[in-house]
Amino acid sequence: MSFLRAFKYRRKDTVVHRLDPRSKFLLSVVLMMVSIMFADIRVLLVLISGQLILLFLAKSLGEWFSSLRGLVFFFAVIFITQLLFGGTFYTGIVLSLRLVALSSSMSWFFLSSTPEDIGRAMSVAGLPIELTFSFTMAIRFIPVIYDEFQSIYDTQRSRGLELEKGGFRDRIRNLMPILIPLLVGTIRRTYEIADAMEVRAFGASPKRTTYKPLKLKSGDYIVCIASAILVVSALALKMVYGVE
Amino acid sequence: MVKIAVENLYFRYPEAAGFALRNVSFRIEEGESVAILGENGAGKTTLAKNLNGLLKPTEGSVKIDGVDTRSLSVAKIARKIGFVNHNPEHQFFAEKVEDEIRFGLRNFGFPEETIDKIIQEVLSVFGLEEYRGKNPFQLSGGEKKRLAIASIMAWRPEALIVDEPTIGMDYAQKMNIRRVLRRIVSEGRCVIVITHDVDFAASICERAIILSRGEVIGDGRLRELLSDDELVEKASLRKPFIIELEEETGLTGLEEDFDILSSILMEVFQKCRS
Repeated sequence: MSFLRAFKYRRKDTVVHRLDPRSKFLLSVVLMMVSIMFADIRVLLVLISGQLILLFLAKSLGEWFSSLRGLVFFFAVIFITQLLFGGTFYTGIVLSLRLVALSSSMSWFFLSSTPEDIGRAMSVAGLPIELTFSFTMAIRFIPVIYDEFQSIYDTQRSRGLELEKGGFRDRIRNLMPILIPLLVGTIRRTYEIADAMEVRAFGASPKRTTYKPLKLKSGDYIVCIASAILVVSALALKMVYGVE
Repeated sequence: MVKIAVENLYFRYPEAAGFALRNVSFRIEEGESVAILGENGAGKTTLAKNLNGLLKPTEGSVKIDGVDTRSLSVAKIARKIGFVNHNPEHQFFAEKVEDEIRFGLRNFGFPEETIDKIIQEVLSVFGLEEYRGKNPFQLSGGEKKRLAIASIMAWRPEALIVDEPTIGMDYAQKMNIRRVLRRIVSEGRCVIVITHDVDFAASICERAIILSRGEVIGDGRLRELLSDDELVEKASLRKPFIIELEEETGLTGLEEDFDILSSILMEVFQKCRS
């Protein structure tokens, strides 16, 4: 679960944090698309380097590095499946780098944008409030659910539960004492939130106003132009130069 | 004999800038009843998790029966030091109350024929017999807490740490929990209660360790510590009602027992009248 740290908003005053969430989202989606388009190690390394610069500007390199530990499990799964199903060590590296590039492209965005900002950006894009609100709540509750998971895990360990004990089936079975209380707690919280929203007249007014309207600034235009350049460059590399 | 020895304990959470616990040292003997008191964020739960090995010291040491917790697994420590989470629902997953108790016993390798006997005994001791086949999530707050303690006490740990046992409980539920904990103390087991409910702590514990901003600011007899105005204010606590009553009335040696509170008040009124 430690990889989730790379998606938890941290309040900081940086140039990246001050950007409009819409321009950041655009760049983030472009970075994701480029990560998927290429299987060339050099391109993926350049892409990751670019994202590291963004993370550096967002003063969030520490969170990103600590989240990498959580990805080790997925790297292992990638390598094992590759070796088992006819892949090579090289494809294992490519897929692992792609995973890093993909997670980083969303990581810097979530690390530097508040859930409220993301919700507002979605509303401005014309999405219904029920959808944007649910999305915002889901993001806001990731750290809460993570804390609850940790507390439940600690409680069950205090009752002698050892997750690392036994074979594969035992390990899966050992997860039940953690997952069931987590699920029950989450469902209960959902009902409580729904009640709390209803008593505060959520949805009563069809036309909603915004406390802080979003406004694109010069930095945001630069990000949008950079995103367009990135798309054109990626297409050129792929189509003109035939990079894989 | 020393059960838990904490020496110069410093603890820092991985991403935190400062220490959550600083230079904490104390010893807890077998059979002691200790309240760990302090305001919210003082480090009480962090300390408790260091005592049962869920967290390992950043600096210094915590020793259980002379063995450093760093060299022991959580399960090994849990066999000796039971820990009850402040939220009992964080441990419930079984369909029946009896299975909830069975879980820990199985983890610790108790034979099946003994487990049924223990469950029967524990249900009876904790007054949960009638709920044996009920879903734990359907119990009341007080019953859930009792079940949480029962499911830990089933394997008879030598010490029990209870985190915030009275949160969200009414008077009757508190009394039931108090009765359960006092019984455990009377069996000669070590009980460590983490709370900011000073009245509850005063009704169970002889000793108190008071924390403030991660440091121990008081360690000694609970009644003496909580009679110290300066210390009580520094820890953002208040005096237990029983101590306030003694100070206000000049009466001494009042029983630390809420059950006879009415008789105490009658005594006070009679004194005032005379």
